[in-house]
Amino acid sequence: MQADLVKAALADILADTDPTRKAAKLASLCSEVFRQRGIDLVVVGGSAIELLTEGAYTSGDLDFCLLNRNAVPLRERQELMGQLQGQGGPRSWQVAGQFVDLLGPLESLARTPLRKLAGPYGLVQIIQPEELLVERILVSVYPQKSVPARQCARKLAAVALGGALGLDWNEVERLARLPEYRIFPECQKVIEEIANELKVKTPFHPHP
Amino acid sequence: MSSKSKPPSIPIHEAVSWEDWLKGRRWRRELGSRVAPPIIRREASSSDPRLRRLFHGERGLPFARSKRL
Repeated sequence: MQADLVKAALADILADTDPTRKAAKLASLCSEVFRQRGIDLVVVGGSAIELLTEGAYTSGDLDFCLLNRNAVPLRERQELMGQLQGQGGPRSWQVAGQFVDLLGPLESLARTPLRKLAGPYGLVQIIQPEELLVERILVSVYPQKSVPARQCARKLAAVALGGALGLDWNEVERLARLPEYRIFPECQKVIEEIANELKVKTPFHPHP
Repeated sequence: MSSKSKPPSIPIHEAVSWEDWLKGRRWRRELGSRVAPPIIRREASSSDPRLRRLFHGERGLPFARSKRL
């Protein structure tokens, strides 16, 4: 990506005052700059939930994991963030009025595709919402009840049950039943609650 | 909202275009707001010092209202 295009993109992102759209644009630019170096990034965590739900959850940071690398050497990270006029490091940089955090390799048990957003500067890859949903439901219960995690799960489920986000419910069930999660009864309960509130059919079989 | 007027959803297998993602923002926000408070940004996290320094005491920029999406 040519330096003048990066500069124009950064100016556009810096001027944007809508936090979700700004995060999407920055995710698009970062993904493209890293992709040109052969590194695939995936948006994870609260930033991913925000891009998929518009849930007004995200703060001013954007979290990425690595899809096709276990690590990126510090020198390379600093060079790439330098192209983006980033400040800081070694794992977190301030870029265009937000923070970008580069975490480790992607940890996902989901078999469904990463969701993709054809952003204005390049393709954004987002962790599977099936994984996000099951993860948030688990965190909403263990090690103790968490209202923020439950609210995230409820919004994610509502957006999917309402038809605004494609979600594979069989995959949600498979993940929730895995030994790594073991949360299917709670998952089923939450989804049924939301389905009732939205007056739509539950994707799971009713309780016996 | 009739099915004819529904904005595009985020598909499983293909990329959602930028235009479609923008068009779907309000729909997604409104669906989520039916089951949880409209704004659910956490009040604190380990990133607080840097966030509050950058965002003038807040943890991020203010969210746009649904009707402006």
